[in-house]
Amino acid sequence: MRNKLMSMQDAVANYTWDGMTYCHGAAFPVGSDSIAFGKEMVKQGRKDLNVICHCGSSQVNLLAAVGAVRRVEVGFSGLEVYGFANGLNRAVTSGQTVIEDYSNGAMAFRFFGGAMNWPFVPATVNICNDQQWCSGDKPEVYPATEKIPTITDPFTGQTLGAFRSLRPEVAAIHVTMADIYGNAIMLGSEWSRFEMSRAAEKVVLVADKIVDTGCMRQYPNLVRIIAEVVDAVVYWPLCSWPQASCGLYDSDEEHMFYMNKAMKSAEDTEDYCNKWVRSYETPEQYLELIGQEKIAKLTATETAFLMDPYRKWIRSDIEVAELLERAEG
Amino acid sequence: MEYTKQEFMAIVTGREIKDGQLIILGVGLSMLAGYFAQLNHAPNLMAFTEGGIYGSTPVGGLPWGIECNRISANATSFTNAIDALGFLVASGRCDNAVIGAAQVDQYGNVNTTGIWEEPPWKAGRYDPPRVRLNGSGGANDIAVGAKSYLIMASHEKRRFVEKVDYISSPGYLGGGDARERCGFVGGGPSAIISTLGILRPDSVSKEFYLDAYFPFTNVEEVKASTGWDLKVSPEVKLVPEPTDRELANLRTVDTTGSLRKKG
Repeated sequence: MRNKLMSMQDAVANYTWDGMTYCHGAAFPVGSDSIAFGKEMVKQGRKDLNVICHCGSSQVNLLAAVGAVRRVEVGFSGLEVYGFANGLNRAVTSGQTVIEDYSNGAMAFRFFGGAMNWPFVPATVNICNDQQWCSGDKPEVYPATEKIPTITDPFTGQTLGAFRSLRPEVAAIHVTMADIYGNAIMLGSEWSRFEMSRAAEKVVLVADKIVDTGCMRQYPNLVRIIAEVVDAVVYWPLCSWPQASCGLYDSDEEHMFYMNKAMKSAEDTEDYCNKWVRSYETPEQYLELIGQEKIAKLTATETAFLMDPYRKWIRSDIEVAELLERAEG
Repeated sequence: MEYTKQEFMAIVTGREIKDGQLIILGVGLSMLAGYFAQLNHAPNLMAFTEGGIYGSTPVGGLPWGIECNRISANATSFTNAIDALGFLVASGRCDNAVIGAAQVDQYGNVNTTGIWEEPPWKAGRYDPPRVRLNGSGGANDIAVGAKSYLIMASHEKRRFVEKVDYISSPGYLGGGDARERCGFVGGGPSAIISTLGILRPDSVSKEFYLDAYFPFTNVEEVKASTGWDLKVSPEVKLVPEPTDRELANLRTVDTTGSLRKKG
């Protein structure tokens, strides 16, 4: 197997481009997501993105706040108890970003359809209501007929909704730990990362920890993302920050509110990006920016015991740097 | 007895949750009502979240989200959305749920998507909303698939409307047998629990009527706070006050006091 470690800068340069269909995950509003990857996309000035996220998160909130999102498909756009996603909502109400709403279940089914290479998935959710009748792509047609067309079950005659399968061009997926080949273990809810990793044409993992493959051989049942479907592995500690990563760190309550408040206006978003997005290059500088005191607080999580079985396989920063030197692109 | 309207609403919602039920809980009030019920009178409640977090109770305060570490520290299983919203909810297996609403109408249809100057059904087109909310999340899946579910909403005229701007999660749609005609697996909302009382659907028309009101209000106030001509049950009841035990149990779950901050 190929050593797929890659720097964050190279991964974003190689796997993202203007106008692409970009998928990020888990896309939980409070927990797991490849947020550091999205920040690097902002740094590299990506624009005109068609974003697929199971839920909104601080990542799509930021991407929309800087005006980089043309269109988004989502099951839930808010930040749960942290409030409405100000950046995304500003882009939607101004008409800058077209939003296509589905339910969280429907998004998961659509990833499953993409993974199976089915053209569509039948279901009874989202039909007979505005989830079916309102289409951001064709606002002039109400009720919409092309977003979730109805079909007839050939066996029972029942009416069902047909949901277009999702095949994103690239998915940047957050995982708790990965080996250098792209085998990964996720702690906490998986959300739709299993299906997402099989639905996307290219998969970049963004991992909080790099572990030895011996870890995967010890717990093969828990390796739900496999090297066979992964194209690149990026090591980025606290890559979900200011959101949480189960087993490793809690969400940063103070920064979640602070960041979302900044997303309310273009000016404050620009200030935020200068302070918190464009102000670091390396993982070390990123951690320094967050601050030792804050990191100590966030990593004192009630879920820390979940990491106990895996600790002996975690590669140190020095080891990861050496492995990155030897990566095979 | 000192309590807030929000606390009363959570306790009354909790009373609608029965021991042994398989229940899916969302973030905020939904989790508080559910875990209150588990602690108070439903020790065998089987609660899970739409992310597929099973067997857990909140640690360290109200979870910030359905995937928060506060709800992940003592789980018996972590699965995924396909499992929770598909295999357990869309399949028709889930007994109960609690969802929130920015707007709710006389048939229990819920809007959590947006507020328009002129809503899509009136404008005949889907323009960007004046205020964007969150979208349906898993609530649409729950509304379609759960055997029954509860709706919680703050009882104000602008929220209890004749017709919602956007149906994010279907209740009884236009009433009568409209749900059956859509082929939904689940039975629809069993009650709307508001900050003023309990509304239940008529068995035939499916229009929600006032079944009971809270001790600090009266029928006139509830009607005046409702945007449609609210029918009142001939046997309309007074909802019993929270007991000391209920309040203590709720506050054990709501350790950070999120329900005590609101009026």
